[in-house]
Amino acid sequence: MSVAVRQPGPVIESEPIRSRRGIVWQTIKQRPSATIGAGILLVVVVCAVLAPWIAPYDPHEQVGPVFGHPSWKHPLGLDDGGIDMVSLLMWGCRISLVVGFAATFVSMVIGGTVGVAAGYFGGRTDNVLMRITDYFLVIPDVPLMIIVAAIWGPSLFHIVIVIGILLWTSTARVIRAQVKSVRERVYVKRARALGAGHSRVILRHVLPQVAPLLIANTVLTIAVAIFDETALAFLGLGDPSRISLGKVIENAFQRAAISTGAWWAIVPPGALVAVIILGCSLLGGAIEDALNPRLRVAHLSARSFKLRPLVGRGPEAV
Amino acid sequence: MRGADYVLKRLVFAVLTVFIAVTINFALFRLAPGSAVTNLARVPHATPQTRLALKRQFGLDKSKFQQYVIYLQQLAHGNLGISFANSQPVSANLRTALINTIPMVFLGTLFAIVLGTITGIISAWRRGTKAEGASIVTALTFYSMPTHWLGLMLVILFAGVLPTGGMSNEFLINPSFTTHVRDLAEHIALPALTLGLVLYGEYTLIVRSAMLETLGEDYVLTARAKGLKPWAVLRRHALRNAMLPITTLIALSLGYIVAGAILIETVFSWPGIGRAVYDAVLQRDYPMLQGAFLVLTISVVFFNLIADLLYFRLDPRITE
Amino acid sequence: MTKWLAVLATAILAVGLVGYATKASGSGANAKAGGTFRMGTSSRIDSLNPYVAFNQDAYNTFEYVYPFLVQYDKTNSKFVSDFATSWKPTDGGKTWTFKTRSGAKWTDGQPLTAKDAAWTITTDLKYAAGGAANAAGLVAHIKSAKAPNANTLVVRYSKAPGNVLGQFQQLAILPQHIWSQHTGNKGTNLKTFSNNPLVGAGPFKLVKFKKDDIALFQRNGSFYGEKPKADAFGLQMFSNEDALVAALKAHQIDAIEAVPGTAIKTLKNAGFNVRSTAGVDQTDFIINSNAKKSGHRELLNLKVKAAMAHAIDRKQIVRVVFLGYARPASSIVPAATGAWANPAVKPESFNLALANKLLDQAGFKKGSDGIRVAGGHKMAYDVITPTDVPSTNRTFQILQPDFKKIGIQLRQRSLDSTAAFDAITTPDNRYLKFDLALWDWVGLIDPDFMLSVVTCAQYGGWSDSGFCDKGYDAMYSQQQLTPNQAKRKALVWKMQRYLQAKRPYIWLAAQDAVWAVSKNWGGLVASPQGPFNSINKLSLSRVHQQ
Repeated sequence: MSVAVRQPGPVIESEPIRSRRGIVWQTIKQRPSATIGAGILLVVVVCAVLAPWIAPYDPHEQVGPVFGHPSWKHPLGLDDGGIDMVSLLMWGCRISLVVGFAATFVSMVIGGTVGVAAGYFGGRTDNVLMRITDYFLVIPDVPLMIIVAAIWGPSLFHIVIVIGILLWTSTARVIRAQVKSVRERVYVKRARALGAGHSRVILRHVLPQVAPLLIANTVLTIAVAIFDETALAFLGLGDPSRISLGKVIENAFQRAAISTGAWWAIVPPGALVAVIILGCSLLGGAIEDALNPRLRVAHLSARSFKLRPLVGRGPEAV
Repeated sequence: MRGADYVLKRLVFAVLTVFIAVTINFALFRLAPGSAVTNLARVPHATPQTRLALKRQFGLDKSKFQQYVIYLQQLAHGNLGISFANSQPVSANLRTALINTIPMVFLGTLFAIVLGTITGIISAWRRGTKAEGASIVTALTFYSMPTHWLGLMLVILFAGVLPTGGMSNEFLINPSFTTHVRDLAEHIALPALTLGLVLYGEYTLIVRSAMLETLGEDYVLTARAKGLKPWAVLRRHALRNAMLPITTLIALSLGYIVAGAILIETVFSWPGIGRAVYDAVLQRDYPMLQGAFLVLTISVVFFNLIADLLYFRLDPRITE
Repeated sequence: MTKWLAVLATAILAVGLVGYATKASGSGANAKAGGTFRMGTSSRIDSLNPYVAFNQDAYNTFEYVYPFLVQYDKTNSKFVSDFATSWKPTDGGKTWTFKTRSGAKWTDGQPLTAKDAAWTITTDLKYAAGGAANAAGLVAHIKSAKAPNANTLVVRYSKAPGNVLGQFQQLAILPQHIWSQHTGNKGTNLKTFSNNPLVGAGPFKLVKFKKDDIALFQRNGSFYGEKPKADAFGLQMFSNEDALVAALKAHQIDAIEAVPGTAIKTLKNAGFNVRSTAGVDQTDFIINSNAKKSGHRELLNLKVKAAMAHAIDRKQIVRVVFLGYARPASSIVPAATGAWANPAVKPESFNLALANKLLDQAGFKKGSDGIRVAGGHKMAYDVITPTDVPSTNRTFQILQPDFKKIGIQLRQRSLDSTAAFDAITTPDNRYLKFDLALWDWVGLIDPDFMLSVVTCAQYGGWSDSGFCDKGYDAMYSQQQLTPNQAKRKALVWKMQRYLQAKRPYIWLAAQDAVWAVSKNWGGLVASPQGPFNSINKLSLSRVHQQ
């Protein structure tokens, strides 16, 4: 009973899903970009989790002079507080990843709910939800994040919420388009005809179809969330009691690292952020590609220069 | 008529969005703890009357609703109010800031488009070769770099060769035209380059996928079978097909980039709209914030509208 | 318009010009006899209007473009003439007669006379509650100001103040013929006047001002006093210190007015003259001293405050936060102000054992987790830190572990300065809620201002400690109205001892003023506020090429 229905309009054709985990895992195994991406993320996550045990020094302890040079004992030198850079990076990963995952989770929950509701129920609900989404889209989000962080105070929790409530829109749109097409599938219609309730249909039939796309979108959103945290920290709005990679960059910048020649305080943390974001982009992009090679999603669409994904064609697109 | 219907609908929606945004922003800023009066009353020779006088001057002694009504009335007359921080008209402050940001953003976007198109074409044309992999990976790598960090890297790289801050060397007195132009170019180079590098990845991917799709189409095969040279095929069909998503992407990104330039402006001491917004937040300069957000929201809505209309117009395959 | 065209024309070229190797051109191609002295700052001139301006750089600018009655001498201890040539107090100090220079002119050619001074003071008095609020404190106690002739200014006071010259040193005299057109709207127009182009009468005249970018000044040929050696000077504003230091290294500018500690060695190695002197910028640890505060009243206990004072390692702060370019501080009047600082008021010793003993004596026992309990709750407090004082982060990181060792837990609450001040004064300027904070103060030379910030009258104004003490207020009013300078000094010394006992502030470190100059220039005059300051007109007048 697997009929792929071709619709005019939104062109997200998904072959019937063998198993939800199937596509994602297969992609990781088969496509080199996905493998590399997943590999990077795995290494970083493991490092972050194990940081308290494998970090060579305490990230609060001064072990040398301010901006100490790289040496055998301290391969990446010391930062502006005399703290070992390698340990800082390991611990910094933790907070950056926590913020990334948590903010993404918030954004997934909101975006997923809005997307599913709008796509499934259609009509007025769809209209209202889409207008709300559009409002969030037109907010200049970096300025808004600044304002909320400045007003509310830069604690970790606040930052997570702030980033999360501004990132959900791209998820909502992507999910909505996918849900719309799934809803028209024969087997869904049949389930409804048989008297299955909305929630049952959504949980049993719609969500599994949507899940891989959701996963891809999640991974990409993590990248943006980590970037946003770096940006906020750079503007002095990060949580000062926690070490995140963005904070490490900001500390160095505040204390004139570059003109002092202490490149080791600035280059590694940013490079690490770039690597993490790259990993996410590779993995997420590969999954999206695998789901539908004709899906012309601008992967890099959820960036802080926010963009609406070019999903399919027709009035829902753009 | 269907077309006019669509345009009208989008226009109405655009105006509505701006209005809602304005209202919500107004409320949001006033939620902030502390106010402009808090700041401005801390002058070296303040007396208790200072605070009261300031409150009265800024109309902060009226109820929030009254302030809102006054604000809307002034807005209807095109008056964006007076900045709390330097007591000058907000429109004048914004104009200066925008005039500073726009050339830099424009150049950066131009660079991104050009580089993105070139790499997109290369990666699509040379599908399956090393060149494809290399261009995509490079594009993604630059895209993944935090904007401000990339800016700082460029500062390190070009230290001593290119200036690291400001828009021009203000100490040049009566420079000749060529000196002046060269000076401006030197100063705008790094910020625009930073912006271009982080942006071009998106264009690469779009151009590439648009080209791939076209290159797979029947009429291209036919054209090649007829003996048309590859470049002609490219130019006539594939690029034209890519124009649509590129144009819409440009239209959309322009709307947002002006706001996003704040990181670059901080790194390069560029006195543009990004920094103006940042300073206004710190100083709780409500009129500046409201004015800046209004301008930014309008630009985003405007360019989204253009993108919608362009898409509607250009894509022959859309059906209502 | 030219700029737009120029930029568009280079749009194509710009891509190719990236990486074009060229040295940033400086004033080399435009060398005049005196040269242009280019200074860089990471702060900025926020407004050219003295009734609006807030930043120190704006006040420094006013010092050089406006006439003041007096200025400080090179040692910062005596007053010497600026626009006023002599002065005499009579009537027990209730009347002051100033003789001012003749033949002086404003930069637009109009005559500058004592009448301008009288008009400025009278206007400030008239609109003290409105448009002229910025200057209201400077004209306190003045009854009237009149100019019986072009060279004489007579100021009458309701009570004889002790800091007349200190006040006039800060009061810029404005041109009546310009500003009298802007007193409309009950004086509020004073604040909306952009004052650009600026008509002044200082050693320099402002010729170009671009907000957040550059301010260019040229030598004022018609200045009544010591003429500057340089032809011009410019202040370039950078948004961060890295760009500032990089610009100096690349010789785009000639001097930096405040060098970040981490860049000092680099600049010395690069061949620049880096000078430092004791400064007036002091960081402080604030304890809410409002006797009416609602919770955590153990913080009002003087023994607790003393214990905290002994748990602070000032040497470590000086070393790590300021890289050695600071001195431990102890008094509300910075030591760099000279005679006004009481030398008997010293920093407390860093002694954790003593701190622990004091807290034990106060009856606050340590719980099982090592944190003391007071009044049924743990001694765990939020420390508010403003984000625009960067030293507070590292300072907090030094305090936190040491305080843990004496059984007090600290949490950092970082807010931007507006929100931070709000969190301190909440609710409604009653200072009921906050416990601790870290901030800094930049003192003037005359101690009146610093002493005023802990008076009851400054609630909602300058007070960030909630301190309100009748005995102290009485001393404050008294020193303000003591014309005899020796008596005044004694009072000021007494007030400092008083404050050290009551401890609304625990003073941490007085940052050195550190500046850097290229070897091509010399003659800058050292000062605790840095070479570009609002103390006197000497520095930039004497700077010269060498």
